[in-house]
Amino acid sequence: MPHQGAETVTSTDLHQRDDGELIEAILDAAGRGDVETMAREAAEVSEMTRNWATHIPWDDLATLDASGADGELARVVADLTEMWEPAHLRNPVDPDEEYALDKNAYDFYRPAGRDLLARTEDFYDWVQARRRTETWQYSRVLEAAPDSVAEITNDLGKRTRGINFNSQDYLSFNTHPAIREAAVRAMRDYGPHSAGSPMVLGNTRISDELEVALGELVGLEHVTLFPTGWSAGFGAIVGLVRQSDHVVIDRLAHSCLQQGARAATRNVVRYEHLNVEAVRQHLADIRSHDSRNGILVVTDGLFSVDADWPDLVTLQRVCREHDATLLVDVAHDLGSMGPGGTGVLGMQNLLGEIDIVMGAFSKTFCSNGGFVASRSPALKQYVKMFSNSHFFSNALSPVQTAVVREAARIIRSPEGDELRARLFTAIHALRDELTGRGLTCMGEPSPIVPLLIGNEKLARTANRLLFDRGVLAFMVEFPVTPTGSSRFRLQVQAGHRPEEAREAARIIEGAIADSRAYLSSAFGSAAR
Amino acid sequence: MYDAIVVGGRCAGASTALLLARQGHRVLVVDRSSFPSDVISTHFLWPHGMSYLNRWGLLDQVTAVTPTHTVIDIVNDGIPLSGSVPTSLLREHFRDLHGDDSGVVQSYASVRRRVLDQILVEAAAKAGAEVRTHCTVRELITEDGRVVGVRGRAADGQEFEERARIVVGADGRNSFVARTLDLPRFDERPRCTFAYWSYWSGFDPGRGQIHRRGRLGCAVVPTNFGQNMVLVWGPSEWAREFRADVPGNVQRALDFVSPELGELVRTQGTREERIYGTLDQSGFLRPLHGPGWVLVGDAESAKDQCTAIGMTHAFRDAELASAALHRWLTGESSLDEAMAAYEGRRRSQNSAAYYDYVCTLSEMRPYRHDELQLFVALRGNQEETDRFIATHADIAPVSEFFQASNLFLLNDAAKESSAGYSVFDDFAATSRTYQQNLFA
Repeated sequence: MPHQGAETVTSTDLHQRDDGELIEAILDAAGRGDVETMAREAAEVSEMTRNWATHIPWDDLATLDASGADGELARVVADLTEMWEPAHLRNPVDPDEEYALDKNAYDFYRPAGRDLLARTEDFYDWVQARRRTETWQYSRVLEAAPDSVAEITNDLGKRTRGINFNSQDYLSFNTHPAIREAAVRAMRDYGPHSAGSPMVLGNTRISDELEVALGELVGLEHVTLFPTGWSAGFGAIVGLVRQSDHVVIDRLAHSCLQQGARAATRNVVRYEHLNVEAVRQHLADIRSHDSRNGILVVTDGLFSVDADWPDLVTLQRVCREHDATLLVDVAHDLGSMGPGGTGVLGMQNLLGEIDIVMGAFSKTFCSNGGFVASRSPALKQYVKMFSNSHFFSNALSPVQTAVVREAARIIRSPEGDELRARLFTAIHALRDELTGRGLTCMGEPSPIVPLLIGNEKLARTANRLLFDRGVLAFMVEFPVTPTGSSRFRLQVQAGHRPEEAREAARIIEGAIADSRAYLSSAFGSAAR
Repeated sequence: MYDAIVVGGRCAGASTALLLARQGHRVLVVDRSSFPSDVISTHFLWPHGMSYLNRWGLLDQVTAVTPTHTVIDIVNDGIPLSGSVPTSLLREHFRDLHGDDSGVVQSYASVRRRVLDQILVEAAAKAGAEVRTHCTVRELITEDGRVVGVRGRAADGQEFEERARIVVGADGRNSFVARTLDLPRFDERPRCTFAYWSYWSGFDPGRGQIHRRGRLGCAVVPTNFGQNMVLVWGPSEWAREFRADVPGNVQRALDFVSPELGELVRTQGTREERIYGTLDQSGFLRPLHGPGWVLVGDAESAKDQCTAIGMTHAFRDAELASAALHRWLTGESSLDEAMAAYEGRRRSQNSAAYYDYVCTLSEMRPYRHDELQLFVALRGNQEETDRFIATHADIAPVSEFFQASNLFLLNDAAKESSAGYSVFDDFAATSRTYQQNLFA
């Protein structure tokens, strides 16, 4: 091939036909078996394209067997056709499946148009595509109490039974006789309805007992109950933080805390997950220009998506050094781990030491509801008055309150230790079996075992297979996790037998391998 | 007997050969072309691409003949953003990927391949690699299922045969090595763009500009010889109609996507070469390595041109693969361990997320309302605009920008509203017109 520097480009180059036109002419000649014309047209093909399409014998087309007997002509035609009109333009794929797998919920977060009702239609079309292709992981319903095995129906009406890692009931209290008995007794004594805000007449004597029990569990005696865990997190922040204050929040903190921060102030800093040094820098930074306003530092205890927790000892100290206040959400760890069920706080010897602790009952305590605790009676009264989700919500029902109180009693008893020991036996069995099969469990042993998948398509496809193969697992993807790092969140219960956990791990591995083959994907799940 | 034979002597191959030779290994690199030589390419090097050249001591040679810029303009449906990639993100990128953040630069450039590839092969030769140009590999020699060398025809027409401990396939998307080994394709994403481009003199766009409107895109970047590369692209479904009148449709696309750029090219531009085009752009991955062979660059992972990342990724592969091969060749690790380390980097979650980002973008769907709102929200938020540009160029992880809490915060911090942008006036109607093939 001749050298062709810029200075050698001539006006004939300028008006030469483009390569698409030339390839079309070559294919046309090939159809007539006219290899001479093919070669003549090929001589005009640009150096650019020749050096790109090195698999085409551009200089040797005249020597092809025009009869096609040796198959070479057909191969050249196929390769050129693939360049000129690729297969996907000739063979369309299943548009439903493609649409279902290629989008994320966030794609629909800001719909267009002024008709609030009509503009939800695009999202609904996508949900329908996900349903039709059985890749919609939401809105499944239970047919009976969720035990270590559960029977469920997906929202297409398809029923399955499987080993259940889809329920949040870490100590298996939902089937515990004493818990059920407490619910029955409260129902008999107070009826099903709390009939008012906790600020008015929504609480009962059981509520007071529950506040005392929770205060003893976390070592902070002033406790306020909320009707849901979400409202406790949201309410604690909006109750305390005003527009000129600051919130410094772990990037992966729970949605109720992120939303609370956004609602309270525009001064929100998200710091790198668990990075206490980053918090120190942000606080120094804020204090260098603002010595007058408050700073609330917000983190989870056990993070539900990554199964890890921060160094709270250092974090609390750093906060005090900068006159910042620390709020820790112990929704997932309180009751289910740590000495006497005291969670991450107890594991770090911090009972009674954290500024503000909030939690939710829905993971271990067998009910809706949440709480905010501190050592300050003033903070308690302030939160009750200014956290609207407390003041303006109907109180926890008497049945829920009684269930949580009984759960708190068992958690602190020797039986609680026994249940946690059984829970951790199952956790280790599951993690060991998954890891032994080459899969990646994130974080530390805890009731949540996040199994890293990565690509959303792979996770959605594997989830579809698991449903049919008898494992119920919750797949989490954007916006719960960042784009491209989807995972299965396996929620273990004390009632899981170790062999059930190992069986589930085997099924999960098979489903992932089959999905990978189905999608023909080469990506692994290492982070970087 | 060589330590390595590298098939292909351009961005991926010459760089791999250069790095191996500098570490004292015996390297042969062969290419069917003789240099200088052009090949289909965006010519574009993002700042990490330029940083690799700097790390290898070749940047000055390139910038001596190539204009460079730091700030880039990205205009989506009339919503302009300008920014540059922050040094801190570049450093983080190199630390994560290579364990060493030396030599980062913030500039980008469009370099003609007849310029760049010659610099690369000459540097490889100077480093001690044996470079044979105009030399075509026609056969892989295998023994006991293992690739042990190559046979082919040299510049003088003579048949040759050479052997090595490893054969590196650096021969592009249509890799001979991959085809000969009959390697499968994974993660195929057939939807892609068609692209047409040429080189114009006579005007100065100031710096690189990337524009999108509806299902079409265009870009202009100053390149060598006092010329500008002007590129238009669109969904491959529209390629057939586009081909009916290539020069006319190039101008039509420019006028539609950026009337200002269209005007500049029409009234002041002089086209210096023929118009080139391709729609051979679909995304796929191949196995990275096997007995006696390893792939780098487009050969291992081909992607659409729409983020202009191919050359930069080829450099990345050269550093990753040569570092892995060096450990093996010096006996520091087994070949399996070395290749597993290379594969770990190349088939990671971050890689998958970026691959997905490019493949989705290359479908050239009109931007959705929420995406355009995001661009409006980025206006006046320079730090996040820069991070978006770094994300688009695969410098910052997709997962960190496209994370719910970050996007919510961007919304909250927005300084502008959509009111000033006409695309939002009757968005539904505009979107519908975007679906119509402009060239039909």
